Amino acid sequence: MKFLHDVWYTFLRHLRNDLREPVWMFFGMIQPLIWLLLFTQLFQNVAAVPGFPTSSYIEFFAPGLIVMLAVFGPAYAGFEVLSDIYHGVLEKTLVTPVNRYALITGSAINWALGLALRVLIVFSIAYAMGVEVVTGFGGVLLTILIVTLLGLGFFGLSNALILVTKSETPLVVTANLATMPLMFLSSVMAPSEFTPEWIRIAMKLNPVNYAVEAVRPLFLSGFDWTKILVSLTVLGIFSTLGITTATLALRKFGE
Amino acid sequence: MKTIVETFDLTKVYKKIVAVDRLNLNVKKGEIFGLLGPNGAGKTTTIRMLTTYTRPTSGSAVVGGYDIIREARKVRQIIGYSAQESGVDQNATGRENLMLFGRYHGMDTITLKARVKEILELVDLTEAAGRLVKTYSSGMRKRLEIATALIHEPEILFLDEPTLGLDVQTRVNIWNYIRELNKNGTTIILTTHYLEEADKLCDRVAIIDLGKVVALGTPKELKSKVKGDVVSLVLPLKELEKLKLNMAKAEETLEKQPFVKEIRSTNNRLNVYVNEKGERAIPEILRLLEKERVDVESITLSRPSLDDVFLMCTGRTFHNHEGETR
Repeated sequence: MKFLHDVWYTFLRHLRNDLREPVWMFFGMIQPLIWLLLFTQLFQNVAAVPGFPTSSYIEFFAPGLIVMLAVFGPAYAGFEVLSDIYHGVLEKTLVTPVNRYALITGSAINWALGLALRVLIVFSIAYAMGVEVVTGFGGVLLTILIVTLLGLGFFGLSNALILVTKSETPLVVTANLATMPLMFLSSVMAPSEFTPEWIRIAMKLNPVNYAVEAVRPLFLSGFDWTKILVSLTVLGIFSTLGITTATLALRKFGE
Repeated sequence: MKTIVETFDLTKVYKKIVAVDRLNLNVKKGEIFGLLGPNGAGKTTTIRMLTTYTRPTSGSAVVGGYDIIREARKVRQIIGYSAQESGVDQNATGRENLMLFGRYHGMDTITLKARVKEILELVDLTEAAGRLVKTYSSGMRKRLEIATALIHEPEILFLDEPTLGLDVQTRVNIWNYIRELNKNGTTIILTTHYLEEADKLCDRVAIIDLGKVVALGTPKELKSKVKGDVVSLVLPLKELEKLKLNMAKAEETLEKQPFVKEIRSTNNRLNVYVNEKGERAIPEILRLLEKERVDVESITLSRPSLDDVFLMCTGRTFHNHEGETR
C-alpha cells in the first residue's frame, strides 16, 4: 500500500539522520534531568506536609517529570522541518507523488521512538535514585504509551507551527511560553488538592494533566483503569488532532 | 509537434501583488523552453504552479495531459523538478537522496538501484555517492539536485534557475547535461535570468516581465525583432575632463540623427542602437564625430542580444534591475 510504503521510507530517512547525529535526540532530556536532580533537593521537605501523597518528593515528582519529556522535545522536531524548508527539501518532496499524511506520520513514528527511549533513560535514572513502579513492567509500558501519545500531539502542533510560519522565532517563543504553564497548570509538581480552584479548572483543559493523572498511580498505587481509559481517550484525540493539523499545514505549505 | 504543457490565463495573486498575470503558454513535446526575465518577473511562481506546488488563484494549466489542480497526483508522477534551493538532504549521502526520491516515486528496489547507478554516472557523481552531501561543492550539489529530479525518468523536467551562482565551467557542464537529457526525449522547461543561458540553451524563449509574457519565440526570432544593429564606440581614456566633454558631445550629436534609435553610455563606451544596417551607419557616425572633433579609439558592430529584446519590449534593461545578469 502506497501510504505504508511512504511512511516506511520517510521513517527510515529520519531514523538514519538521527542515528548520524544522536546528540539531538537527547537534547530534550537535559533540562528535565537537571530538574530531577535540583527539584527533588529543593522540595525535599514538601513531602512532610500533612496530606502529601508520598513519603519522599522524588517519588511524587518523577512520574510528572517523565510526562514532561513529551513537552520538551517537540520544539527540536520543528527545527528539523525548518532545515528541510531552508534547504528546499520539502518543496522538492511535495512535488513528488508522496502521500502527505505519510510524510508527517513517518517522521512522527521516528520521533515517538526517540521519545520512548528518552522515557526509558530518565526512568532508569529515577529508578537508580530510588523511584519504583508498583505496577511493574506493564506500568512502564503504559507510561511509555501515554507519554508518547501526549508527545505526538505536541509534535504535530510544533510541526504545524513551523509549516505555517516558516520561521523559527514563533516556535521558540511559543515553546518557551507554553512549557511553564503546561507544567504548573497540572499536577506535575504538586498534588491538585494543594492548588486553588481556578488552577484545578485549568488542569481540566491541559493535556499534560491527563497524562500525569494516569501515570502517577501506575508508579505509586496500581492500575487505575478509569483514569487510564480517560487519559488514553483524551490523549488519543489530542495526538490525532496534532498530527492532522500538521498534515493540513503541509497541504497548504506551497501557498 | 505535440503540445505537452499549456496554460490558460494562469494567475497567481499573493496578498495584493499579482505575481503571474493571466499567462498563456504553450510548450511542445521535446522542447527546451525557457522562461526569461528579471527577478520578481513571476518565473518561479509559474514553475511552482505547473509543478503542483502552488495552487493558482485563477486560470488553469494542463501538464502532460493532466489538469494541475484536479489531477495533481498524476502530474507529479510524470514530472521532475529541480528547485532554486539545493533541494537535497545535506545530512544524507548522494545515493541516499537518490534512493529516497526514487522510493517516493514508487520505484521497486531492483529498477531503482540500476537507475541510481546509471544516473550517478550521467552526472559524474559515482565516486562521491557515498559521501554526505554537506561535503559536496556547489556544482556537485547542483548536479545531484538535478539527478534527484531525474531519477524516475520524467517526461517533463522543470528546472528553476539551473545554473544560478555557478562558475562558468560548471555552468557549461550543466548545459551539456541538459542538452543530453533533451536529446533522449525529455521536455525541459527552465527559468533563467541569464540572457546567455536562454540564448544558447533554449529552443524557444518566453520573455516575462511583471507576470506577463512580453515576447515569445526562438532566440533568433526574438533578436530579429530588434531591427538594426548595435554600434559600440569606445573613446580614449585620456584626460578625464576632455572625455566627459566628448562623451556628452557625441551623445548630443548622434541623438539628433534619424537613423539612431537609442543611445546608452557607460564610462567611455557608447552603445548606439541604429535603425539601419550597422555597416552603413558606421561611416556616417564617424563623419559626424570627426566634425565635432571627438576622438574615437575603437568601433565595433554587433547584432542585438536578448537584452536588447528585453529593452525593446519593456523599455527597461536587465542591467537596471540588478548587478549580475551576464
